[in-house]
Amino acid sequence: MTTKTLFIGMDGCTYTVLNEMTRDLPGEGVAMPFLASLMAKGVRAKLRSTPNPLTPPAWTSIMTGKGPGEHGVFDFIRAEDKGGEVYWTLYDSRDVDAEMIWSIASRAGKSIAALNFPLTAPPPKNTNGAIVPGFIPAKHLRRNSHPQGLFERIKQAIPGFDPKELAWDFDKEKQAMETLSDADMENWVRYHLPREEQWFHIAEYILANDKPDLMAVMFDGTDKIQHQAWQFLDPALMPAERSELYNRVRGVCREYFGNVDRYIKRLVELVGPEAQVFFASDHGFTATVEVLRINSYLEDLGYLKWAVSDGSEQALRREASDFANLDWSQTVAYCRTPSSNGIYIRVAEKPGDPGIPQKDYNRVRDKLIEDLKQLRNEDGEPVIVDVLKREDWFQGAHMKDACDLTLVLRDNGFVSIRNLKPAVVKRPNPIGTHHPDGIFMACGAGISDEGMVGKRKIVDVAPTLLHSLGLPTPSDFEGKVAESFFNETWLSEHPVKIGAPTVRGGEREKSEEMDDNEKKQIIEQLQMLGYME
Amino acid sequence: MANDLSAAPAAKLTSDQLVSKLAALLEDFTQDWDHEFDGQMGRGTTLLADLGFESIDIIQLVVAIEEDITHKKVPFDKLLMKDGRYVDDLSIGQIADFLAAQL
Repeated sequence: MTTKTLFIGMDGCTYTVLNEMTRDLPGEGVAMPFLASLMAKGVRAKLRSTPNPLTPPAWTSIMTGKGPGEHGVFDFIRAEDKGGEVYWTLYDSRDVDAEMIWSIASRAGKSIAALNFPLTAPPPKNTNGAIVPGFIPAKHLRRNSHPQGLFERIKQAIPGFDPKELAWDFDKEKQAMETLSDADMENWVRYHLPREEQWFHIAEYILANDKPDLMAVMFDGTDKIQHQAWQFLDPALMPAERSELYNRVRGVCREYFGNVDRYIKRLVELVGPEAQVFFASDHGFTATVEVLRINSYLEDLGYLKWAVSDGSEQALRREASDFANLDWSQTVAYCRTPSSNGIYIRVAEKPGDPGIPQKDYNRVRDKLIEDLKQLRNEDGEPVIVDVLKREDWFQGAHMKDACDLTLVLRDNGFVSIRNLKPAVVKRPNPIGTHHPDGIFMACGAGISDEGMVGKRKIVDVAPTLLHSLGLPTPSDFEGKVAESFFNETWLSEHPVKIGAPTVRGGEREKSEEMDDNEKKQIIEQLQMLGYME
Repeated sequence: MANDLSAAPAAKLTSDQLVSKLAALLEDFTQDWDHEFDGQMGRGTTLLADLGFESIDIIQLVVAIEEDITHKKVPFDKLLMKDGRYVDDLSIGQIADFLAAQL
């Protein structure tokens, strides 16, 4: 058995940074010489992310070939408006209402390995190969790894294996969006170096020993580092005179990318010249320069009321949390989480319920869109450049779970939902935020050497990987094979085929809906976790 | 993670039988944790005080019990909440008694 297809995910990777890391910079050299050599002989494209370019929906689209309206994952947090209260839970693999490529390939008799991908815990059943999920705390990694015994095998085989270095640490991850001191900033970047090294060693071990047909590993330090350290990476933000701090933090960032280059080199060498190698990111990155406090603006417009704080410690914590704390009886439209970048409009299911009557929905929504587009910053520039209606962007079985309106800000920033005025303020320094255009690249046998080609959609990654494995595109996929990534000889010998539709939906849909008490329980648990209040 | 698709719903089990199953599950669940508990798990073993549980661990344990023991969803809120608030701790015996009444 030999690996036919190697897929390396890089969370939030963007050409803005990759081009800098793969070229010779005066005094700094080339941080990623091996990747530079691959890019020189392969093909690449910009990859358009999901309408809200965010890790959970975007990686799920990469893994399912479908958009969020179909696969049903929209955010980190799953919430339901129950009239008087909003219930929050975390998304997991059982919420993904679409078959993942790991399952599709397994059904076709192929073996796979999927390392560090979000939404893969609990691991999808009937997987023919290895899954070590991403975004899971260290204590639960073993039981969430597939197959049984894999974790012990890794532990014994890899010297220095440490799940605590490897796994998701909730306290650490929260720092991604916080303002850090200079020392904390440097430590934040450094924290990802050993973490990524751990994932590399697992990937190297699985690839060398199991040789799965489809080998996939995701490195997510790219996203985390870029959130905090964007000003040290974006060439457009490079200061005329570099401070000692600038050089130091930039040096650690370049060390990180240099390490990733080393991982790529080893993995590509292991699969050999006959394999095809693909790279993709879930979204790109750019700079955000201002803060939009969206619920504060909605309050100004009369769409929502804040909950009245009683001044207690619990109330103060609730105010400071990343979840909208509102007077639900007087709120018509609101934003739930910063990562959603969206607005929900509350529609009364029956007379007396909070929210607007269904018959007023279109009128209220049109007026709200108009109001949102009127917002200007202190320089008179429009802050919200586009407002996406859910039926235009989230068609599918789960459209009803999407935000009624998704906002596109002029600087691609994520909104704030804090109860602060004014509604729009400039940031003291630019920080990193998600850009809708990520990367998609390939090299290897049968791959085109055209360099940059036309932009692809994020749902094209899954059918392209399946095609590389010799499998047809399921007929219900939204994405298409990126034919421009393959050379003519390959395509003549391996014509793109459409096959049977996918078979597996999310387990959540098939099971009973949770009752209200179960939801309460999870809310309390999230509170204990520090997600809420 | 349990991957046995053929698992049928649990037959009627006594509380003592469930204590054994829960102890075995928790032995596996916590085998590589840094808790200081080194005795035999039994009816009196508590999740927070003995095994060092945090809230994320309770979420994971509920999933593990439903996948490995009950093979169906169980209204754990009735066990975990009293008078609208969360209980301070739970013993294996309390969980077993609760499950015996539910199954």
